[in-house]
Amino acid sequence: MDFGFSEQQRDVQNLARQILGDNVSPESLAQYDGYKADRFDKALWDKLAEAGLLGLAVAEEYGGMGFGFFELALLIEEAGRSIAPVPLSAHLVSAALPIQQFGSAAQKQRYLPGVASGQIMLSAALTEPYNEDPAQPILTTATADGTGLRISGDKTAVPFAHLADRIVLSAKMGDGVVVVLLDPKAAGLSMTPMQVTTYEPQFALSLDNVSIAAEDILASADRGREVMQWLTERTSVALCAHQLGASDKAMRMTASYTAERKQFGVLISTFQAVGHRAANCFIDVECLRLNTYQAVSRLDGGLDASNEVQIAKIWAGDVGHRVSYAAQHLHGGTGIDRDYPLWRYCTWLRYNEISLGSSAKNLASLGKRIAAGEAFCR
Amino acid sequence: MKVEFTAAQDALRKELRSYFEQLMTPELSAECDEAMGEGGGPLWREALRQMGKDGWIGVGWPKELGGRGMSPIEQFIFVEEVMRAGYPFPFLTTESVGPQLAEFGNESQKRDIVPKILAGECLIAIGYSEPGAGTDLASLKTSAVKDGDEWVINGQKMWTSLAHFCDYVWLACRTDPDAAKPHKGISMFMVPTSDPGWSCSPVVTLGGVRTNATFYDNIRVPADAMVGELNGGWKLITSQLNRERLSLVNFGPTAEMFNNVVRWAQQMEMPAGGKLIDEPWVQINLAKVRAGVEALKLVCYKQAWAMSEGTLEMADASAAKVYGSEFFIEVYRLLGEIIGQASLINRKTEGANAMASRIERLYRTASIITFGGGTNEIQRDIISAAGLWMPRATR
Ligand SMILES: Cc1cc2nc3c(=O)[nH]c(=O)nc-3n(C[C@H](O)[C@H](O)[C@H](O)COP(=O)(O)OP(=O)(O)OC[C@H]3O[C@@H](n4cnc5c(N)ncnc54)[C@H](O)[C@@H]3O)c2cc1C
Repeated sequence: MDFGFSEQQRDVQNLARQILGDNVSPESLAQYDGYKADRFDKALWDKLAEAGLLGLAVAEEYGGMGFGFFELALLIEEAGRSIAPVPLSAHLVSAALPIQQFGSAAQKQRYLPGVASGQIMLSAALTEPYNEDPAQPILTTATADGTGLRISGDKTAVPFAHLADRIVLSAKMGDGVVVVLLDPKAAGLSMTPMQVTTYEPQFALSLDNVSIAAEDILASADRGREVMQWLTERTSVALCAHQLGASDKAMRMTASYTAERKQFGVLISTFQAVGHRAANCFIDVECLRLNTYQAVSRLDGGLDASNEVQIAKIWAGDVGHRVSYAAQHLHGGTGIDRDYPLWRYCTWLRYNEISLGSSAKNLASLGKRIAAGEAFCR
Repeated sequence: MKVEFTAAQDALRKELRSYFEQLMTPELSAECDEAMGEGGGPLWREALRQMGKDGWIGVGWPKELGGRGMSPIEQFIFVEEVMRAGYPFPFLTTESVGPQLAEFGNESQKRDIVPKILAGECLIAIGYSEPGAGTDLASLKTSAVKDGDEWVINGQKMWTSLAHFCDYVWLACRTDPDAAKPHKGISMFMVPTSDPGWSCSPVVTLGGVRTNATFYDNIRVPADAMVGELNGGWKLITSQLNRERLSLVNFGPTAEMFNNVVRWAQQMEMPAGGKLIDEPWVQINLAKVRAGVEALKLVCYKQAWAMSEGTLEMADASAAKVYGSEFFIEVYRLLGEIIGQASLINRKTEGANAMASRIERLYRTASIITFGGGTNEIQRDIISAAGLWMPRATR
């Protein structure tokens, strides 16, 4: 049991915090509010690439730093702290990691150097309308076509589909699942912008007999489900890490506010009810932090983390919700004033709570594992 | 960061688990049950001495002090396993007062008392609270007055747990009634319960747990019965409470209880067919407990790790105490709901299910540590001030 950061981890944390802190501000985020502009900061993206942060978990032979999932999760936590307008989870966790883990030599050579340099942007289509299990596509189906595939169907809420060079996408094929690297410019693919609560650009994809070349197949029907489970587990944990950064920031913003705002002639922080609601957030965030780090640590170390990932996601959902409402409440009207920075955090806390399974859903699923004797306390 | 146990830690846990399987004979278990989870009986004492002989009590203590030189993490694993085995371990003595004496005690205390603690031969009760001094502990009135080379102690303490079978009371006394601030006039003493001026009368609580009112009538102790500096007791009290807080929220017994309820629900036949554990609401209750226990485990081990690094933060220790104490109440409720009627049946009923009746009892004891060990309101004050830098009202 070692809860300390290594020097390398501290460096990543500090570098990320510095770059994101210097480049993301309420003013810079305001330009995207209400879909006034695409919520993507290209200059920031380039700075992250330049600093090597996009290549953190990319192997050195492909131009990355060759660090592990832990360092990557720390970067995403910082992205949550600043709610940075860049698609780090989709690009790095849902897409680049499985390519590195399961891709052919040619696929790795083709995509990973660009992932690290920021010249290629990747995304992932994880869910379908009303089907949120990425490993069980129903609406999207594939059939063989020579050495390649033909895919038809629907995906929803695909981040940055319009800017991505490839989108990781799963389709049902017979009894199995295939995973492909979809070219967003492919014939037969149409995308419709969606207005998601965070203002992140997301799209509904509709595929009509889209042709996929053999070289763009990431996993064949017998392996696809495993690949999707693998990347879903990691993406869930990335949501937890993002939630951790965002809720920690919302909590600290609130604490600072109560230490400046006066009512009845005194700082509102001196009212015990105010202090205690903030203290509850502190405890909550600590529980989220430790459960998230545990899940990250186990995945990083190649250990089974099925229970730990679900538990972390349960905490992420509950804590995000509770911190969001405590933060709003303790600010009074200011908390929801769009001229004050808190409200944007609230939308992300909600997004991370629900995406890839809410607390209720994960509790139910953990409950099934417990019933099956798969989740005893050690 | 590596949030997993090392192979050596896993091995230690395994070793301890089989050790306690041997140690916890049915007779000892029965005696402990009789004592409402407090201990104090002859078999209980014998087992404690055995643990001392086998070098377990001080497993995480430095070798110079008679320990085995492992870290606070190993110490925590030991305490977790001993509690998990259902042995009422006197952690106040071994985990909180003991280390205080080792750190701040004078030569005779280090020579005479500390080794006995590690040998399982010395038990110490904590004498802070008084009828008029609870959360506002600094208002305590029990006095110690210097008379030649001795101190003369007079007063009454309240809720002095375990005192009826302890050798000493770690006693907070007022030594300067005129101190500018009340907490600056308090000193700590080791007072032997064998003194004729010492007496106690039982106070029985909702959970069946016995505690005591203790009385101090012209007790004379030598100068070296004082621990630390004259009027420097407050620092000792607060750091003892910091240590106590961590032992209060040990998660071993909860983990064990969760596992037992799961196994039980897997067996229970439903009247209309199927097993109890197939019920969705049962699974949800279990999942809530499971997710909470995981957090408790991590919170506890982070503290143990921080102690070995010397980086324990006040806000984190308070957070652990608040979280753990309030979570226990939830656990007993959620698991009790699953067990149903049987969780209302006292273990003395013929045919009572031991696991269910344990919950019957624990549900009655769970409030103690939300206000004891430093009430949760004060812990939340500490968290908002020390953890979130929120200015707080002056008291
Ligand atoms: C079974 C048992 C065992 C115990 N063992 C010991 C022992 O071994 N040694 C020992 O010294 N003591 C012991 N105690 C005493 C325990 O530490 C006290 O009960 C505790 O300190 C609270 O004091 P009190 O009971 O006087 O409650 P009070 O201090 O009167 O508190 C009553 C309520 O008021 C709240 N309150 C008080 N002050 C504030 C404030 N500033 N802000 C907000 N809320 C506040 C409290 O949180 C609580 O909810 C034991 C108690 C019990 C029941």
